[in-house]
Amino acid sequence: MSGCRKRCKRQIFKFAQYVFRIITGTLSTDSIDDEQEQYTIRHRPEALEQLEAQTQFTKKELQILYRGFKNECPSGVVNEETFKGIYSQFFPQGDASRYAHFLFNAFDTDHNGSVNFEDFALGLSTLLRGSVQEKLNWAFNLYDINKDGYITKDEMLDIMRAIYSMMGRCTYPVLKDDAPRQHVEIFFQKMDKNKDGVVTIDEFIDCCQNDENIMRSMQLFENVI
Amino acid sequence: MAAGVAAWLPFARAAAIGWMPVASAPMPTPPREKRRTQDGLIILNVSGTKFQTWRNTLERYPDTLLGSTERDFFFHEESNEYFFDRDPDIFRHILNFYRTGKLHYPRHECISAYDEELAFFGIIPEIIGDCCYEEYKDRRRENAERIQDDEDNENNNDLVSPDMTLRQSMWRAFENPHTSTMALVFYYVTGFFIAVSVMANVVETVPCGSSPNRVKDISCGERYALAFFCLDTACVMIFTVEYLLRLLAAPSRYKFVKSVMSIIDVVAIMPYYIGLVMTDNEDVSGAFVTLRVFRVFRIFKFSRHSAGLRILGYTLKSCASELGFLLFSLTMAIIIFATVMFYAEKGSTASKFTSIPAAFWYTIVTMTTLGYGDMVPKTIVGKIFGSICSLSGVLVIALPVPVIVSNFSRIYHQSQRAEKRRAQKKTRLARIRAAKIGGASAYLQYKRNGLLGDRLDEASKEAGQALVTKTSATFENQHHHLLHCLEKTTNHEFVDEQTYESSCMEVSLTNQARSRSSSVSSSQHGLSSCCSRRNKRKSFHVPNSTTGADRHGSIQELSTIQIQERPLSNSRASLNAKLDETAQLNCDQPFLTAAIISMPTPPVTTPEGDESTSSADYLQSNIVRVSAL
Repeated sequence: MSGCRKRCKRQIFKFAQYVFRIITGTLSTDSIDDEQEQYTIRHRPEALEQLEAQTQFTKKELQILYRGFKNECPSGVVNEETFKGIYSQFFPQGDASRYAHFLFNAFDTDHNGSVNFEDFALGLSTLLRGSVQEKLNWAFNLYDINKDGYITKDEMLDIMRAIYSMMGRCTYPVLKDDAPRQHVEIFFQKMDKNKDGVVTIDEFIDCCQNDENIMRSMQLFENVI
Repeated sequence: MAAGVAAWLPFARAAAIGWMPVASAPMPTPPREKRRTQDGLIILNVSGTKFQTWRNTLERYPDTLLGSTERDFFFHEESNEYFFDRDPDIFRHILNFYRTGKLHYPRHECISAYDEELAFFGIIPEIIGDCCYEEYKDRRRENAERIQDDEDNENNNDLVSPDMTLRQSMWRAFENPHTSTMALVFYYVTGFFIAVSVMANVVETVPCGSSPNRVKDISCGERYALAFFCLDTACVMIFTVEYLLRLLAAPSRYKFVKSVMSIIDVVAIMPYYIGLVMTDNEDVSGAFVTLRVFRVFRIFKFSRHSAGLRILGYTLKSCASELGFLLFSLTMAIIIFATVMFYAEKGSTASKFTSIPAAFWYTIVTMTTLGYGDMVPKTIVGKIFGSICSLSGVLVIALPVPVIVSNFSRIYHQSQRAEKRRAQKKTRLARIRAAKIGGASAYLQYKRNGLLGDRLDEASKEAGQALVTKTSATFENQHHHLLHCLEKTTNHEFVDEQTYESSCMEVSLTNQARSRSSSVSSSQHGLSSCCSRRNKRKSFHVPNSTTGADRHGSIQELSTIQIQERPLSNSRASLNAKLDETAQLNCDQPFLTAAIISMPTPPVTTPEGDESTSSADYLQSNIVRVSAL
């Protein structure tokens, strides 16, 4: 109620100002909001040699990566909106923004709301050149939304919904509403060994290493760069 | 897709690792990368100005000259560069397009020269960025109009081609009087008769002197009634003939009848005919007299002869809201002041302000500063308010009028610009949507062509047939592979709109079809396809007899895709029997039948861990699904 009253007061005050201005004949004043200095966030990555040491990319690969990165984000950092925009362009039929949100959190390791080139390169290095253990770790980190070391059914459901929403509407067979939930059930049946409703990192890695399909598909993208 | 984003495709593919642990199906193999040529610099020499860029930059757009092998035609051996004998200033913009993905149009360049360069380098102008698109389209339209005007002038100077029918030539004569002498004569004759008719209407009311046995003067019309009647008849006949001729010659009679000019024509000549019909009836002669007023509409027929009149009419129409507002504010002021004056003058004796409506007249006369003086306030209060009324009248009337006048020109130009922009916006949105759908449908097209992965290459080579494989860009390959991975993860496929719509329409039928599932299994043999992998969702029972099909056979099946339109009972009843009965469907199973063509692959996987359905002869295959409506 007090909010209402405050709003009323503000409106009345504005109206009085407006009437006053009409009577005294001031022309429409320029809006006097302070010039917010747009601090363009700029970021320069570390030197090439340092990055080469930290990641498993060669110099040439890092060069190619950085050129692409800088082309899309001249300021040197990606914020979540840009990230979502870029990722959505690869999936025109559906809505990739939710999955992009989770991806962004996975890449933004220091959780400062922006991904700079080091984060980007480190993430890609893990994904493309890392050991299977590291890749599985990364995937677990992606699924574990609140980063508490456990994947709950709800978290998995969120992730699954995000993945399915990338498919869009026009699919064959037609997407049913509980398709993500069913998929989560399958996942938990497979992964949750002790049936305690959460998947820990050890269960996850254990189970994935025993699954040939997953093992094979992890090697799929090695030659991407 | 913007070129810059292409650089992020490796990232998107790497991120696909996030789907792997939850995928319910094995992933397709990635497209084979060609040997990665070292990304080198290319030198482009355009009339002496050297440009350099990475090879990959140019190859982002493989369907342009610079991005395809067409540039080899311009390769200059001696200097190891590509030489183009074109304009370097415009080439700068073209090269920027490759770099940034946005094509800009420089304002100072001639539009035809720019278009020529774009055509030479194989770039379609539609991809000009938003910032420059309006300018580009405007210039283009101006240019087109200029060319059109030139052609029109030429055409008008030509004689009428003999192929034109009489009707067409008549219409042309009516619309453009300058085309032939006859048309010009006709034009002037009708103009003359309009003037004569209007003059006659005016003159016949002038008092012409008194006749001996009447008290007051009679008008000329009554005196020389016969003469005026003959004149009127002649004019009306000419107008009627003209109207009928126009009606005959009009290319679209319905449109002509609806047009404003024809309505004016009709209104101009109707009173005469109505008058002919009811001459001697005393009762309606009063109404008949009123009808004669409509004869004055003949003056509007002049608008065919005067372009200025037409423009005035159009601007009045377009400023209708401003005029309406003026009227509204005047009405408000009138009512206010009339009320005030009435109550102010109520007290005085013999006041002319008998009622508020009576005071309206005073208010109007005062506010427009006319001041006839037939009604004047007598009380002091009345005089005070009367003066306020006249002062405010100046304001109320004088202020909006210049605003309206300037509104005329502003609104006129603005509406023209808004129309332009709206038309452009519609086409632009359509383009963007088309591009988006194109991007989506490119993948569906790709699937339909059955060119997923390089299995086809291997299989065809081993089969000894040299299938012509479409050489699509590496980027497209990788993007399609990424989308395919997503399909495998979720066990659903991308389809296009029509398929989806048709699948949504068959809601009730499957429920009936459940009962007929028994007859399904036998009819499955009719499908000409090989075995399929059993899957929880795609459970098409296909006999395993064709597992032994050799590769050759499978290739043949690929080339002759048998797609049978099956009645609904067959297609989905079997599925329904296997699907989760309790599942709620948003929308029904699709009606169509998918012909499954599988190509035998090296044995890859064991059945997925959780498959409840046992698969006896489990042949792994890469299913290429072809959906047909």
